[in-house]
Amino acid sequence: MTLNTTSLHPLFAAEVSGVDTTRALSADDAAAIETALDTHAVLVFRDQRLTDDQQLAFSRSFGELEETRGTGISKPGEQRLHPAFADVSNIDKDNTLLARDDRRRLYSLGNMLWHSDSSFKAVPAKYSILSGRIVATSGGETEFADMRAAWAALDNATKAEIEDLVCEHSLIFSRELLGFGDLTPEERATMRPVRQRLVRTHAGSGRKSLYLASHIGTIIGWPMPEARAFIRDLTEHATQPAFVYAHKWRPYDLVMWDNRATMHRVRRYDNAQPRDMRRTTVAGTEMTAQQEESLAA
Amino acid sequence: MSMEIRPVAATFAGEVSGIDLTGPVTPADVAAIEAGMDRHAVLVFRDQRCTDDEQRAFTRNFGTLEQAPGGHVAKLDERRLPLDMQDAGNLDKDQRVFARDDRRRMFNLGNRLWHSDSSYRAVPAKYSLLSGRVVVDLGGQTQFADMRAAYDALDAGTKTEIADLVCEHSLLFSRGELGFEVTEEERAMFLPVRQPLVRSHPVTGRKSLFLSAHAGGIVGWPVPEARAFLCELTEHATQRQFVYSHAWTRYDLVMWDNRCTMHRVTRFDETKPRDMRRTTVAGTV
Repeated sequence: MTLNTTSLHPLFAAEVSGVDTTRALSADDAAAIETALDTHAVLVFRDQRLTDDQQLAFSRSFGELEETRGTGISKPGEQRLHPAFADVSNIDKDNTLLARDDRRRLYSLGNMLWHSDSSFKAVPAKYSILSGRIVATSGGETEFADMRAAWAALDNATKAEIEDLVCEHSLIFSRELLGFGDLTPEERATMRPVRQRLVRTHAGSGRKSLYLASHIGTIIGWPMPEARAFIRDLTEHATQPAFVYAHKWRPYDLVMWDNRATMHRVRRYDNAQPRDMRRTTVAGTEMTAQQEESLAA
Repeated sequence: MSMEIRPVAATFAGEVSGIDLTGPVTPADVAAIEAGMDRHAVLVFRDQRCTDDEQRAFTRNFGTLEQAPGGHVAKLDERRLPLDMQDAGNLDKDQRVFARDDRRRMFNLGNRLWHSDSSYRAVPAKYSLLSGRVVVDLGGQTQFADMRAAYDALDAGTKTEIADLVCEHSLLFSRGELGFEVTEEERAMFLPVRQPLVRSHPVTGRKSLFLSAHAGGIVGWPVPEARAFLCELTEHATQRQFVYSHAWTRYDLVMWDNRCTMHRVTRFDETKPRDMRRTTVAGTV
């Protein structure tokens, strides 16, 4: 396999050619893709007509996969896909469109806020791999922000101020921002906040990045409103147009990104049209911060 | 010397020279200022060493003073300023800087979110006049967004979609975004009111987006969908090309039209005193 990349943005994101993700990857192929991700953080593979099994096999070339059970609000038996898939579509098990006020749809609108996948887990995600099986014809772009560039562009005083700060992340916080507050006690229990450093260093490239997400609810040791106002300022800085690549989907695009160095969000689209997007997630291997004792146990 | 207005940003905001606001202002000057407001939406007057009474007197040239009740969690006996003057500073009655976790300070942090003054009142504010008595050197800028330009720049499909939408505004929503907890009594005081999402300026007829961090729902829409959409519109409306940032010099007086702008304060070192006093001209519709 010869992997060729074409840049999609001045700072990051590249389109890859010469890779067929439906076939088994050699260890060298996987390493070449990892190396490309260390540089570009977002890779776009065009025209990848994957089955679910092929997507699982491709994803497992990069590590263990996350299971989505116990993280969202879907009930057992409601899920359309294999438990290693995160379903970011707008259709249910019977492939019918979710109603406008369907609880699952309203919950998934949290994806319109800037986030990094699974930052609400003590060990957050490494890569996400999203396959566009049926894409929106208008809107529904996935936007990515380069959090390494965002860190690098901060002034020295801000860098010094935030370098050692630790944040609390939870799905409760991102959903609260949208007024999705009617979580059950069981859901609240599974969504208990975890701690993450605000500045992290990438294992592959050694580059520092801002570790932001709308899942952040506070900064340890700060009054909550002050923390939230500050996190909003940092997010606005980190998502300014110069740091953002907007991916306009074509059918069968496969987009792979590094959650350790980027944030992303989906833009608004017409909910009357089906959108079938299937995500697999490569689990991370380490925490970014010490958890509270009860959680680390 | 006669009054002049010089534009300071691309689409709006002007700086006024040749007028002293501490004394009586002629009807011709008042008319010229109103006309300037209709055009520029934000006017900056430099070096106006107003007393509170002089600020009130100047403000009354443009209508009735809005009274503060219902707009804050500070109790009456905690207030530093009378009810017809809103305290946008960080000082208590004894002129001491609020402690970091003081509840009044936590509440004031809502001013870091883009908003239009008193959009949570059934009759929202017309003008706000903010006098910088003690200003900070670093940060603490007031940023303004031109909501007429933001409306004009929307695509035709979005203009049609939002033309008749009505939003619910409440201090509960802006403070909820920051995780500020309110008492039952405050919750009752902060009952949501309805505002159109698109409004027309009564004098110029120009349409503008009526957004505010206080907007927490769209009537008839599921709440999360409404919030996500309002976030998107706010992001659109506060793009750099629609924003003027005002860096304060002591005794600046800045006047803005809440019917066609949003504003916010940027972060500053809150261990330093900042004394900013606002009078507000009540709206009439």
